[in-house]
Amino acid sequence: MKRMLAPYLAFAKKSFLNKSAYRFDHFMGILNTLLKIFIFWCIYRTLYGARTEVDGITMAMVTTNFVLSIGLDALFSVNDYYLPDRIGNGSIATELLLPVSFQGRMLFENLGNTLFKLFFHFLPAVVVSALTVGILPPAGAGSFMMFVVSALFGYGVLWSVSYLLQMFSFWLINMWSLITIKNVFINVLSGSMIPLWFMPDWMAPVLKVLPFSSIYFTPVQIYLGQLTSQEILGKCLIQLGWIAVLYLCGNFLWEKGKKKLVVQGG
Amino acid sequence: MTFIEVNNASKKFRINQRASGIPGMIANLFAPKYEYRQAVKDISFSIEEGEMTGFIGPNGAGKSTTIKMLSGILCPDSGEIKVGGFSPYKDRKKYVGNIGVVFGQKSQLQWDLPVLDSFELLKAIYRIPEKMYRDNLERFTEMLDMSGFLQQPVRQLSLGQRMRADIVAALLHSPKIVFFDEPTIGVDVAGKETIRQFIRELNEKDNITMIFTTHDMQDIEKVCDRLIIIDEGTKVYDGELMGIRERFGTTRQLDVEFVQECSVEPIEKVEILELDQRKKRFIFENRDVKIDELMNELLAKYSIRDINISEPEIERLIRRIYQGEVS
Repeated sequence: MKRMLAPYLAFAKKSFLNKSAYRFDHFMGILNTLLKIFIFWCIYRTLYGARTEVDGITMAMVTTNFVLSIGLDALFSVNDYYLPDRIGNGSIATELLLPVSFQGRMLFENLGNTLFKLFFHFLPAVVVSALTVGILPPAGAGSFMMFVVSALFGYGVLWSVSYLLQMFSFWLINMWSLITIKNVFINVLSGSMIPLWFMPDWMAPVLKVLPFSSIYFTPVQIYLGQLTSQEILGKCLIQLGWIAVLYLCGNFLWEKGKKKLVVQGG
Repeated sequence: MTFIEVNNASKKFRINQRASGIPGMIANLFAPKYEYRQAVKDISFSIEEGEMTGFIGPNGAGKSTTIKMLSGILCPDSGEIKVGGFSPYKDRKKYVGNIGVVFGQKSQLQWDLPVLDSFELLKAIYRIPEKMYRDNLERFTEMLDMSGFLQQPVRQLSLGQRMRADIVAALLHSPKIVFFDEPTIGVDVAGKETIRQFIRELNEKDNITMIFTTHDMQDIEKVCDRLIIIDEGTKVYDGELMGIRERFGTTRQLDVEFVQECSVEPIEKVEILELDQRKKRFIFENRDVKIDELMNELLAKYSIRDINISEPEIERLIRRIYQGEVS
């Protein structure tokens, strides 16, 4: 098992180390996350005005939603251009020469990044936010545990959405527009911009048939103790279902795309 | 033992044909036109274990495409490729652990990391045993004189250094087959020589099967035993390097230096060039003109100081093959 994983762990380690090479970029990243949280906090504080709650949702819950979902957003940061860049500049050729699974490599390079960000980006940002705008404590030890698990699944969903989308770069040379549209969808429909509690009722079925709400909002709901254990189980299964469906579709396109791969340049 | 077997492999690419300018862009947006270009047409050859084969052809002849099919990156549209019992495209993950590929134009090294770190990463990726890794690293760095820049980031290496590092990177896992795709491109004369010697030595001592593409005829003459020439996706020559002279080298050239200035009468089927006042060059086809008869004729008619017969250089022959003059 360890021998099988060894190459992938080496990829994770490499991207972990690469990440630490650019310090200025890193500090700017944390600042960016804090600013985002602060701006949304300001907007919602103004919207709340003197009210303590809207539709049963308190300002503290809204703040917690932003700290967690914007924090997780920064933590996960999947590189949507991983495959498009490699196809664009032709380096996909040398990558396919390595005796490893390309998908595995893609995932583990991202995991190395994420692990770095967990300690040096996410945790500091959450601590600073807790001290400034404040954050509710988890509803309980069990809720916290399940929050971690479902956040992990949320990462899986986000990664798989990106994975599936990136496969289109076998057919399309410029992926910018598709990726931008995807990111708008994620911003609006995942709750990291408008908490999903405030979505109009007619949006509910839309949210249900799309994977975006299970990326950040499911973990946040679990963290706040809004779900019964049965609902938690159901939501986590939905997350796993999305991972499986998106990944399998992505894999199907990968097999198709690889066959018609054109190596650019030389 | 046949190690590499290629049977009727073909590969075509779809190319977007786009008229220039804004009207062209708009037309392309709504009704894109595509053209298919056959990069490789029905190519077949087989290579024995330990053989050192040069693979040449003009730009766009299909060399790189063939190499990419042999190394499992591209899937042939039709035909069959077998290398050491594997089907490169289908068994890619297992297969590529047994081969090494050097792309002169694409580096496999990590741009920001020191060379040694890239090697360490490859050690993990290929699951190279510690001892094998140490031995190979030591041996290759010495042969290629690389100890001076192992700790430097790749982006700060000269092209020659980077190429040597790339070659070692492709060999650390002791592959049985190595593909070199223009490994000397852009390298200076001394650097080329080092690389050639290294490749030659490795082929002889370790019995590694090698395929070598290049545009540098010196590479071919100094390194390869066998030559496959392809042009427009089809094979035009396959045989020994020396055989190429016998088959295509039908032109002879005779340089004659006369004792004194003189004019030579035209001779049938012989082209006469004036090199300087007393030197003339006679070019003719072997089958049309017997060389002894021509010499006797010249010696009888003129007083001659020196005669020099030369065979055409491989390079000129290959150029003529590319241009379709001989077949």
